[in-house]
Parts: sequence; C-alpha cells; structure tokens
Amino acid sequence: MNAQETESVEAFRARAARWIERDLPRWNDEHVETRDLQRLLFDHGFAGIAFPRAYGGAGLTLDHQKAFYDEATAQDRQVPTGNRVSIGMLGPTILDHGSEDAQLRFLPPLLRGDTLWVQLLSEPQGGSDMAGATTRLTRDGDTYVLHGSKMWSSGAHEADFGLCLCRSDWDAPKHRGLSMIAVPLKGVPGITIQQTRSASGLTSDFSEEFFDNVVLPIEYLIGEENDGWAVAQTLLLHERNTVGNIGYGYLGRRDRGPKRMFGGEPAMRSLAAARRRSALDSVGEAIVETYIESVVAPLTSTRVMAGLRVGTHSGRWGSLTKLQSTVAAQASVRTALAAWGADGVIWDGEEVQYDNVGTTWLESRGGTISGGTNEMQRNIISERLLGLPRESAPDRDVPFSEVLRNARRV
Amino acid sequence: MQVELSEAQELFRSSSRRFLEAEAPLTVVRELYDSREGFDRAWWRRAAELGWTSVLVPDRLGGGTLSGRPVADAVIVAEEMGRLVAPGPFLPVNVVAATLAAEGSDEQQSSVLPGLISGELVATWALCEPHGRWDVDAVRTTATASGGDIVVEGAKAYVEALGAAEQVLVSARSAAGLTQVLVPLDAPGVHATLGRSLDATRRFGSVRFEGVRLPRSAVVGNVGEAADRIAQQLRLALALQCAELVGVADRTLEFTIEYGLERLAFGRPIMSFQALKHRIADMTVHLEGSKAVTDALADAIDGDAADVERFSSVTKAYVGTHALDTVDDCVQITGGMGVTWEHDIHLYNRRAVVDRAIFGTPEEHKHHLLSLLSTSEETA
Repeated sequence: MNAQETESVEAFRARAARWIERDLPRWNDEHVETRDLQRLLFDHGFAGIAFPRAYGGAGLTLDHQKAFYDEATAQDRQVPTGNRVSIGMLGPTILDHGSEDAQLRFLPPLLRGDTLWVQLLSEPQGGSDMAGATTRLTRDGDTYVLHGSKMWSSGAHEADFGLCLCRSDWDAPKHRGLSMIAVPLKGVPGITIQQTRSASGLTSDFSEEFFDNVVLPIEYLIGEENDGWAVAQTLLLHERNTVGNIGYGYLGRRDRGPKRMFGGEPAMRSLAAARRRSALDSVGEAIVETYIESVVAPLTSTRVMAGLRVGTHSGRWGSLTKLQSTVAAQASVRTALAAWGADGVIWDGEEVQYDNVGTTWLESRGGTISGGTNEMQRNIISERLLGLPRESAPDRDVPFSEVLRNARRV
Repeated sequence: MQVELSEAQELFRSSSRRFLEAEAPLTVVRELYDSREGFDRAWWRRAAELGWTSVLVPDRLGGGTLSGRPVADAVIVAEEMGRLVAPGPFLPVNVVAATLAAEGSDEQQSSVLPGLISGELVATWALCEPHGRWDVDAVRTTATASGGDIVVEGAKAYVEALGAAEQVLVSARSAAGLTQVLVPLDAPGVHATLGRSLDATRRFGSVRFEGVRLPRSAVVGNVGEAADRIAQQLRLALALQCAELVGVADRTLEFTIEYGLERLAFGRPIMSFQALKHRIADMTVHLEGSKAVTDALADAIDGDAADVERFSSVTKAYVGTHALDTVDDCVQITGGMGVTWEHDIHLYNRRAVVDRAIFGTPEEHKHHLLSLLSTSEETA
C-alpha cells in the first residue's frame, strides 16, 4: 500500500468510532474472553492495526492503533488486555526478526486470537543475568532439540506458543551463543508447565516450564542461530513499551475497566477515605524522626560497647556506629534547615555570623566523609562484619603501568 | 535481647530456640496456615512448661523471673518467636498473666492464673475498638455497676487468639473511670466474630458485648483505677512486639545474605555487588539500632523509668518501620522467588506487616511523640 492509499488517522478514527459504538462490548456488559475479543477485532479489520496486511494486520500505523484504542477508552469499551503480551511484544518481535516463512506461519493466527504467546526468557537460576541462559538448543539433523527450564513466564499455562531464549553455542562468549526459537506449548511431548503460587497465596500468572528434549522444526528459529541476544533486546524493547503503555502494546488508558484497585481517581478517593489520622506534616515528621534517631544512636553505641566488653562485638563495629551517627547528625541539620527556613541562613548586621543553622549545615557535611567515607564504612560492615565478598581489586598482583592502562578500559 | 545474658537467661534462650526449631519449624507454620486456631493446644502446653507463660508472674503465684528483670526475660522468647515466625498466643497470655499477677483478686489468681501458666487456659486482652486506636482515651466500651453485678456494653476489635481464648480482659469505662473486666467468652451477651489476619498463624477477631452481666468479682483491680494498668499493658505488648520484630528482621537478613552468597549472576555471587552490600550495611545499622532500643524499652519497663511512655513510642516508631523495610528490601534482593508462595520470606513479611499495624502504627506513635515534643516545648 502506498502513501496515497493510506487512510488518514482522522478518517480512521471516525470509522473506528462508529464500529466501536455498534460492535465493541462495554466494560459493564458481559465479559468477553480475550481470544473472542481479539477475533472480533480481527474479523472487522481492527486487529494488528500497525501490522502489514500480508500477515493479517490492517497495514496502518501505530498512530492509527492509538486512535482506535483512545476511542475505545472514550466509549468505555472492553479491549483485549489479556492479549497485550502477544500483540504488544511477541508479535512485533517476530515482525522485526522472523523470516518471511515464520511471519506468515505465526502472525495471522496470533492476530486472529487463535494463538496466545508468551516470552520464555528468565530461568530459575538466572533472572537479571538473562544472557547467562543455560537452556540448551542443539541442532539434530533437520530439527532442533530443546532442553532446560524457564521461569517467570506470565500466562504460560494458557499460552499456545512461547519465544524461548536458549544457548546454542557453548564455546562462544556469553552473548554470542544464544538463539531465539518459537516453542509450541500445548500438546508437545516433553513439556511440563507448572503454575507458580504467589506469596499472597493466590495462584500467580507466572509459571515454570520444563523442556525435556523437545523436538522443534528448524523453521521455528526467530532470527539467525547464535543471534538470539539481538532478538531478545528487541523483545525487551517491546516489553518496555508495552509496560509503559506505548507502541504496539497500547490498548487505551489503563484506569478504565473492571478491577481497578490501586489506580484511577475512585481508588484515590477510597484511599483518602481510609486514611487514618495522618496529621503529621512533613516537617513535623522530620522533627520526630530526628528525635527518634537521637535516642536510638546513643543506645546503639552503648550496646556495641557492652558487646565489646563481653566479646559479642569486635572493634570493627565502630564502622556501624560511625555510619549511623553521622547519617543521623546530618539528617538532624537538614531537619533544622526545613524548620528554620530563611531565618536559618539570613541575618541582620554586616558581621559574618556563625551561630546559625546554615553554618551548622556546612560544618556537618564533613561528618559522612571524614574518618573514612560512609561508603567505605558500608564496605567494612558488609565485608568485615558480615563476611560478604570483597570488592574486586584489579590492581592486585599487576604492574602499576598495566593497572593504569587497564583502569582506563573499565 | 541483651548482649549479656545471665546463665539462666541463656539457657532459656537456647531451650526456647531448640523447642521452636524442633516443634514449630516453618513447615509446621505452613501447615497451621489452614487451621482454625493457628496453633496446637498440646504444643502450647509444652511451650508453657519451658517457662514462656511464667516469667512475668512472681514466685509466690507459681511463676518466676530468671534475672529479676521480668520483661528482659520475656523479650528473649519474643525474639526467638520472631526468628521462626512462631505460632501461639504468647503475647496476649503474658499480658493477661502479668495483669492478674499484679492486681487480680485471690479468686482470679487461684482459678485463672494457674491455667494460664500451665497452658491449659488461654486468655486474651481487648483494648482497641473497631477502627479505633490502642489508647486508653479511645475506650468507649462501658462497665456499669448494677446491683451487685457489673454490666459490660460495647465492642472490641483486633483481639488476638479470640478463637482459642476462654477469657478476655476488657478495658472499659465506668462512671469512676477506666475499669478492667475479665469476661468469659461463653457468657450470655458475648458475641465473638472470628477473623483472620495477613499473618500465617496469628488469628484475630472482634467481640460485641450486649448487656453482659457478670458478678462484681469479674472486675480486675479497682473500679475506675485501671488507666495506668492499661498503659502498662500496652507498653509490655510493644516491648514483646518489637522484640519479635527484631527476630523477624534478624532472621530474614540472615537467610537473605546466605541466599545472596549462593546465587550467581554475571559470573559472581550477587552478594558481591556493592549496590547490595551497601543496602545490607544499612539494614544492619537499623537492626542493631532496633536491638538496642528494644532492650532499652525492656529495661525502662523493668526499672519503671519516668520516660517509659515516650520511650515505648520511640521503640515502636523505629522498630516497626525498619523491620518491615528490612524484610521488604530482602524481598527485593531475593528477586522473583521472593514473591512466590514457595519461598519462606512471605511468612516473615506477613508477621512484620501485622505487627507494624497493631498496638499503634509507627505513624501513630510518631504523631504521639510530636505532640509530646510540642507540649514539652510549651511548658519549657
């Protein structure tokens, strides 16, 4: 489709508004399942608004998508929030990295609501260190074999497909031996999905997936073999966008619809009503907190001294009382600045005066620096009192010239 | 818990810890989650045998302090209970036992107190009223003399161990002033509504008293003279609660550090990252401060110090805030596992949240302190 043929956003909005008014159920109507709602949108040309037509989309832009969902919000209509991950994150990633074959295979059913997708990135042994994935992908003739486990996959127990980050080359550096592959999650031998129970006692939306030598077609690979980290980066980009409610994951304002416990004005009103006697203004609170610290810090020193005497505490505990008392002292002067305002820093008479809060403030700054900065005290507390690992020291056992050269490379 | 324990106190601590580890480990706490009372009565009688219910009661009444400082003894158990988020009505039973020991009638001391000490009987206390405060001034429930009887009318809320208790010590208002009445929960006109709390094992409930007519002998102490006693009960409860919170924070920090030393990311234990080490250092400061201020409160109560009221608010404001913040920081460090049912940290989170809320939130105590500070400024 060329530029002339593209429907303007305003024309699209008007057309969408008419359809929404006629066909899209209200939040107060009976709840429509995600898949059915997605199908309804698809059948009327409103699914995958910014996806190419060849893959089942509307061939328009993200601006058109935004217009559609703004209109749905304005008319208080149901939107397929349960499909946000498929539409906002997985679909766009396949669009960015999938082969023509993969796009034709996976995108139309995704946009039609036939397949729900999830990401399979984190593992039980690795969350933040995602590139440390150890789920194994091995080429075996004309197929791949997947072995390992993933965790924290939202909605995996309901999903049809997952996009799985796995290690395909164990000899390459960490980020260069990863691949991304689509994994069917239903009716495939070797896959077990276990829902995670959350701390609240509720069944969470998360689950853990176990892959026991699962055989997958080669065409399911998304992106090149060993280029999975680039695909993962794209997926994370779309995830951030979706979480931030922009891009492909935009489904209208979020403070609409059912079950808004902690967002939106009604929730704030009920919070305001539930509020109990918080007559503390912020300066008053700072004063009380300063007072509390002024009671606790000397008691802590007394306790440490007693501990030194009976042998439960070592001399290094001085780091703890130093940290505590200097933080408390500085906070107390900050409180005084708040309480005194201009009277603390401006005075009558041309002589320089020193008996004011402002001078005390300047003087107090040294407390957290002298005698070993508080950052060093925190190192000492964590390393020497608690036995946590020492900071790495690349300068140890290395000629100094090399240390300087190496340091500039960090 | 003091850094320096007497030999008897050290034995009390180690036997309490062994008992909890053997008979109330976290697996048992999880099993009790689904139980009605949240603890096992036979287990509670064994706990009582260790002395858990007797340190606040003098020798002549069948109890006995270990060190001559009863509250310093009691906080030892409270802290150990916090370390394993233990079940059982330790706090309410001790509050009632201490009250009956101090000013119960001969009859109360001979018919109720021995059962509390042996663990056969469970009693609880009721100060706060629905949506109210733990504050003598907020008491609206009445105890009115009527012939030779006393009639209790009103409602109490957030009553711990209500489902297990046989008796409840009620703070009420009479014409002469504040009065406490020991009400059997099966008395006519007592309507108990059992509830639960976020805590895994600690059960609460609310009670309505509709024309509950009891013999005058149900009054504890003198009619109209209970205000000081109620304030003492609250301070004792705060000391035990803060000691428990110290145990909660201490143990949570311990197992979080252990976890962080095992957990690898980017080729190193996550506990080697300075961002985490510095957080741990700050938490350690708050933990040590919490221990110091809680011990000082126990001392102040035992020594009947003049500023004990102000001190109890300082303690709750500090410990209540930092214990939950520490658990919360540890959840963050534990990562995804920390928000699962499977990981034990939510049991600690639950205890810390409930303890923070009852007997006055840190915010309420700060508010109280601010008014005390403002008053003393005016009179100075």
